Amino acid sequence: MSTAVAIPHQPIEEWKLPSRGIVGMACLIIAESAIFIIFVVAYLFYIGKSLTGPTPREVLEIPWFATVCLLSSSITVHFAVQSLRSAKVNLCAAWLAATVLLGGIFIAATAMEWYDLIYHYGLTVRTNLFGTTFYSLVGLHASHVIVGLLMLGLTLIFALMGKVNQHHAERLEVISIYWHFVDAVWVVVFTVVYIVGR
Amino acid sequence: MATQTQVTVNPALERGWLYHVQDWVTTVDHKKIGLMYIAYALIFLVIAGVEAILMRIQLLVPNNNFVSPEVFNRLFTMHGTTMVFFVGMPILFGFGNYLVPLMIGARDMAFPRLNAFSFWVSAFGGLLLYFSYFAGSGLYGAGTAPDVGWFAYAPLTARVFSPGHSTDYWTLSILISGIGNIGTALNIVATTLCMRCPGMKLSRMPLLVWLYLVVSGLVFVTISPLTAAQIMLLIDRYLGGHFFDTQAGGSAVLWMHFFWIFGHPEVYILVLPAFAFANEIIPVFSRKAVFGYPAMVAASIGIGFISLSVWAHHMFTVGMGPGPNAFFTFSTMVISVPTGIKIFNWLATLWGGNIHFTTAMKFAIGFLFQFLVAGLTGIMLSVSPFDWQLAGSYFLVAHFHYVLVGAILFMIFSAFYYWYPKITGRMLSEKLGSWHFWLFLIGFHLTFDFMHIPGILGMPRRIYTYEADRGWAIWNMIVSSGAFFQAVATLIFVWNLVASYFKGEKAGPDPWDAWTLEWSTSSPPPSYNFATIPTVESRRPLWDRKHPEEPDAHYE
Amino acid sequence: MERENKIHMPLPTAWPMALALGVALLVTGMVTSPGVSLLGLLLMLLSAIGWFRNVLPVEAHEYVEAEPDPMQVPSFRSSIEYLPAGPMHRKMIPVETFQFTTGLRGGIAGGIAMIVPATIFSLLKYHSLWYAMNLMAAGGFVSWAEQSDQFLAQFHIEGFLAALAIHTVSSLLVGLLYGAMLPMFPRWPILTAGFIAPLLWTGLLSSVLGIVSPILNARIDWWWFVPSQIAFGLVAGFVVNLHAKVRTSQFQALPFAVRAGIHANEPLDEAGGPESLK
Repeated sequence: MSTAVAIPHQPIEEWKLPSRGIVGMACLIIAESAIFIIFVVAYLFYIGKSLTGPTPREVLEIPWFATVCLLSSSITVHFAVQSLRSAKVNLCAAWLAATVLLGGIFIAATAMEWYDLIYHYGLTVRTNLFGTTFYSLVGLHASHVIVGLLMLGLTLIFALMGKVNQHHAERLEVISIYWHFVDAVWVVVFTVVYIVGR
Repeated sequence: MATQTQVTVNPALERGWLYHVQDWVTTVDHKKIGLMYIAYALIFLVIAGVEAILMRIQLLVPNNNFVSPEVFNRLFTMHGTTMVFFVGMPILFGFGNYLVPLMIGARDMAFPRLNAFSFWVSAFGGLLLYFSYFAGSGLYGAGTAPDVGWFAYAPLTARVFSPGHSTDYWTLSILISGIGNIGTALNIVATTLCMRCPGMKLSRMPLLVWLYLVVSGLVFVTISPLTAAQIMLLIDRYLGGHFFDTQAGGSAVLWMHFFWIFGHPEVYILVLPAFAFANEIIPVFSRKAVFGYPAMVAASIGIGFISLSVWAHHMFTVGMGPGPNAFFTFSTMVISVPTGIKIFNWLATLWGGNIHFTTAMKFAIGFLFQFLVAGLTGIMLSVSPFDWQLAGSYFLVAHFHYVLVGAILFMIFSAFYYWYPKITGRMLSEKLGSWHFWLFLIGFHLTFDFMHIPGILGMPRRIYTYEADRGWAIWNMIVSSGAFFQAVATLIFVWNLVASYFKGEKAGPDPWDAWTLEWSTSSPPPSYNFATIPTVESRRPLWDRKHPEEPDAHYE
Repeated sequence: MERENKIHMPLPTAWPMALALGVALLVTGMVTSPGVSLLGLLLMLLSAIGWFRNVLPVEAHEYVEAEPDPMQVPSFRSSIEYLPAGPMHRKMIPVETFQFTTGLRGGIAGGIAMIVPATIFSLLKYHSLWYAMNLMAAGGFVSWAEQSDQFLAQFHIEGFLAALAIHTVSSLLVGLLYGAMLPMFPRWPILTAGFIAPLLWTGLLSSVLGIVSPILNARIDWWWFVPSQIAFGLVAGFVVNLHAKVRTSQFQALPFAVRAGIHANEPLDEAGGPESLK
C-alpha cells in the first residue's frame, strides 16, 4: 500500500463551543418572540373592529416617560454587566439598582395607566375587542417586565450581600440579554398600540 | 463535595421499590428522562389506541349504538389530542433525549434539571387531560372530557356553546405540556450547539442530530403560537374577552389561522424525527454511508422553513379567496421538493447496498413506501379545488393517518428494534418482530388503504353513525377489521418489549456493526455515557475506529 | 474536572419535578377549586427556592466512579475485500466540473447565436425582422392573440422588451443546465449537447407550449424552431467546453499522493478505471 503518504489532516485545534446559557436564552427569546408575534398580529387584526367604544384615540395617552425609562434601563444593565466583568461589584450593584428603579417606574406607570382606564373610562377586558387585545398584549409584556425585575432584583440583593463575583458575569449577561429582549418587545408594542393603533 | 441539596440518596436505604421510585423521580440523567418520556408515551399510545378501537367498533356496521354520540365526540377529541400531544411529541422527544447526547459524545444534556422539569410538566399535562374523565359528573357520566375536536374551532369553544370545564381541560393540559415541549427543544438546541465532543463539527454530526436540531427550532416557532392562542382562549373563557367571540366582532377564522400556524408545522415536528431514524437505520442495514449528506441537511432545513408557510391549506374550504388559495397550493406543492430529495437519497443509499432485512429495516422499507403514498395523496389534497371536494371527509383522515401511522409509527417501531439493544443490553426477538411487522403491515393497509374509499364516496369525518343505504358499510367493515390486526400486532410488540427485557439475547455494545458514537459505549450505557470523551474525525467515527486502514476522514 | 476515575455529574434532585407538579396544580385549580391553585402556587414557590439553592452558588454535583471504556469495538467484517484496483478503494466523482459562470457565458453566447436562424426565418417567411421576436413576446400579452400576422411583423417596443427579458432568462437558465450537465456526458459532447439535448427540449416544449403560450403554439414553425435550438446547443456547448474545469470538493478530499499525480492512474481515469464504487 503505497498510499501511506501522510495525509495533511489538521489536528483538532482549539475546540470552542458557544456558551450554553446564551444559546439557551437565545432559544427562549425565539420562542417568546413567536408568542408576541401572535398577540401583535391579533392586535393589528382587530384595530378598529370594536363594535362599541371606547376607542384607543379617546382613552390612550402616549407613555413617553415610561418608555424612556424602560429603554434607558437597557443601557444601565449593559453597564452592570461590564462592571461585573471587570470585577467592580459595587459599581455593578449601583447599575443594577438603577436598572431595577427604571423598570419599576415603567411598571408603576403601566399600573397607573390601567387604573385610569379601568376606573375613569370603564375599559376592561370585557368591554370590547380593543380592551381584550390591549390588556392582553400590554399585560403579556408587563408580565415579562415583572419577571425580568424579579431576576434583576434578586441579583441586586445578592450583590449587596456580597455573594456576586466576577465568575457570575456570564449569568448576569444571560439575564441582561433577556432584559434587552423585553425592551425590544416594548418598542414593537409601543409602535403597534400607541402609534399605529391610535 | 456536593452540598446544599435536600435530596441525598441514603445508602442505608434498602434498594426496594421506594429506592427505585426515588431514583427515577429525582433523576436528571438524560437517558432515564428519555426512557420516562418513551414509557409515558407508550402508555398513552395504548390508551389512545383503545379509543380508536372503540370508534372503529362503533363504525363497524351502520346504525350502530355501541357508544353514545356524546361519548363518540369525546373519543375522537381525546384520541387526536392524545396521539399528537401525549404520544407523538413525547416519544420523539424521548428518543431525542436518549440519543442526541450519546451521538454527539456528550455526558448529559446542556440543562439536566430543566430536562427533568420539562418531562414532568408534560407528563402532568397528560394526566390533567385524562383527569377530565373523573371530574365533573365522574366516570359514570364520563366526566367532562373535551369533545370539541382536536383543533377546537371557535365559536364551539366559547362559554355559551361549551359550558362547564371540558374545553378548559383541553386548553390547560396542552398549555402546560407546551411549556415542557419548549423546554426540551431549548435543551436539545443548546446541547447540540454547546456540548459536542472535540471534532464533532456541525458538518460531521449524525443526520439524526441535525434533524432534531431542525425539529427543536420548529418547536419554538410553532408551539409558541399555540401557547399564545391557548392564552387567548383562556382570556375569552375566564375573563370574558372577545378574541374569538363573533358576537362582539371577534373572528373565528383567526383561531383557525393561529391553530394551523401551529398545526401544520406540528406535522413536520412529528415526521422529521421519523426521517431522523430512517437516516440512521437505512444506511446501517444497507452497509453504506448515507447518500448525499449535505443534500439531506439542506433538505431538512428547507422543509423546516417551507413548513412555516403552508398552514392555510387546512383552510381552503373557509373561502380565503383566489390569492391565498393559490399561494398555499403552491407552497404546499413546493414542500414536496425537499421531501422528494430525501426519498431519492434514501433510495440511493439502498441502491447497490448489501441490504440486511432485520425487523428494523423491514419497518424502514415500509416507511419509505407508505410515506411516498401519503405524500402523493398530500399533493392531491394540496390542489385547492380537489380539497374543496374532499376536505373534512374520510379521504383526508386516511391521508393524514397514512403519514402518522404509515410513516411515523412505522419508523418509531423501527427505532425500537434498532435501539432497544442499546437501551436494555438485550436484543428484541426477531421472530416476534417479524410477526409484529407483517400483521401490522396487513392491518395498516386494510385500514388506511380502504379508508380512502368511503371518503371519496362522501363519508364525512367525525360522523357518529351512518345509514345502511349509503354504500359505505362494506368499506367501514374492512377498515375496522384492519384495526384489530393492528391491535394484535401492537400487543405482540408490547409482549416482545417485556419478554426480551428478561430473556432476550445479550446484545453487546454494537450488535448492528453501526457507525455512530452511541454504539461505542456499553449497553446499556453507564450514567456518564463515555469514560473518556471521544474525538471524532469524520461522519462515521466508529467506521474510522473499525477500519483504521481506510478511515472516512480521508474522503470527506 | 476529572480526577482519576471519577466523573463530574449533576446530582439528582426532586425540585424540577416538584416545580412541574406546582405548575400542574396551579392550572388544575382553574378547573377544580381555587384551593388547589393556592397549593400549586406554594409548591412552585418552595421548589423554585429549592432549585435555586441547588444550582447557586455552584451546581450540585457528584463524582461517579467510572470504569474504563469497555472495548475496542470490532467490526463483523474487519477485513474488507479489496478489489484488485490499486490503493484507492473508493471512487470520488466528479473530481472536476465547470464553474457555474461558465454555464452562464455559454447561455449568453447560445442565446445570441439562436437569434440568427430565428431572424432568417422571419425574413424569409414574413419579410420582417421582428416577427419571431413578437411571437416570443406574445406569451406575455394575452391581447395579442387576435392580432394579425401584419401586426406581429411590426416593431413594438413592449414586445421588444418582453422578448428580451424572456429570451435572456431562459437562455441563462438553459446555459446553467448545460454547464452542469456537460461533464455527465464525457463522450460525444457535440452529439449530446448540440443535437440530442435540443431535440429533447423541443419535444418537451411542443408538448407543453399549448399551456405556456397558446399564441406561440398556434403560429410556431417547428422546422425552423429546431435549427435555432441546435444553433443554441452547439454554440453554448462550444463556449462551455472552451473553459477550464475546476476541481470539486471531492478532489480536495483525495489523498495527497493522488492529487500530486504520484498515483496518476487511479480515480481520475474515468474510462478504464476500476469499478470500485460498487
